[in-house]
Amino acid sequence: MFLKVQLPWNMMIPAENMDAKGLILKRAILVQLLDAFASKKATKELGYYVAVTALDKIGEGKIREHTGEVLFPVMFSGMTFKIFKGEIIHGVVHKVLKHGVFMRCGPIENVYLSYRKMPDYKYIPGENPIFMNDKMSRIQVEATVRVVVLGTKWMEAEREFQALASLEGDYLGPIFEE
Amino acid sequence: MSGEEEENAAELKIGDEFLKAKCLMNCEVSLILEHKYEQLQQVSEDPMNQVSQVFEKSLQYVKRFSRYKNPDAVRQVREILSRHQLTEFELCVLGNLCPETVEEAVAMVPSLKTKGRAHDDEAIEKMLNDLSLVKRFE
Repeated sequence: MFLKVQLPWNMMIPAENMDAKGLILKRAILVQLLDAFASKKATKELGYYVAVTALDKIGEGKIREHTGEVLFPVMFSGMTFKIFKGEIIHGVVHKVLKHGVFMRCGPIENVYLSYRKMPDYKYIPGENPIFMNDKMSRIQVEATVRVVVLGTKWMEAEREFQALASLEGDYLGPIFEE
Repeated sequence: MSGEEEENAAELKIGDEFLKAKCLMNCEVSLILEHKYEQLQQVSEDPMNQVSQVFEKSLQYVKRFSRYKNPDAVRQVREILSRHQLTEFELCVLGNLCPETVEEAVAMVPSLKTKGRAHDDEAIEKMLNDLSLVKRFE
């Protein structure tokens, strides 16, 4: 799910930029914001940091005495991405293994669907292995599968999420895309 | 696995801050991110180098999973879904997964039928019909 967020951050602008006129200063603040936003990548609370959509407010600058930098409190709007236990999502399969498949969903690379959670599907080995059921429905690389999220895990070191999924439920399974 | 034992989107147990949060449908995100990407193309020879991996993967994903492409259609979808006393989360799940029947809609958003809410089948059916009209005339 993509979420709209509004956050207060502090931007540190070096003394050199302070001689510039208002518009250039604003640009320096924006550039730093975009940089900081992209470096953040993701947090456990809000999910993956996708994009800044607006710079809503720039507060009064405060000089940092020791470094000569100026601290500007800013308020900005942006969007993040996070999935929740119980949420139904569309995943794109990128790896098929004997015991299950890995899917990506938005910026999340590893949503794992175990064979145990794919009732009636059997692994068919080969150069391009797939899972298939009696009705010839296939789960293969690049296929879209509608799944329910069983749980998510935040990996602090990598700053990313992993998730477990299941096909157990109505209207779940591979989706034919137009 | 999950941090909170009780988290369950099917019952709208996703935390107060997310229940109150504004959510965006894939088609809305697609319009926003594509616009940003186009702005970058005007000032940079290699726009893909200027955006984060998170941005790139998100853009790829929403381009693939946007049911509605036209900005007016996207606005209409949001408008139609907003008439039905849904939380933002439920609204976006419906707008993203595009269920075709009432049964499918309830399977995608089980919270529609819980908590003593007044979502009768007729109202849900009307909503789905209005959505399919938007698609047809897009």
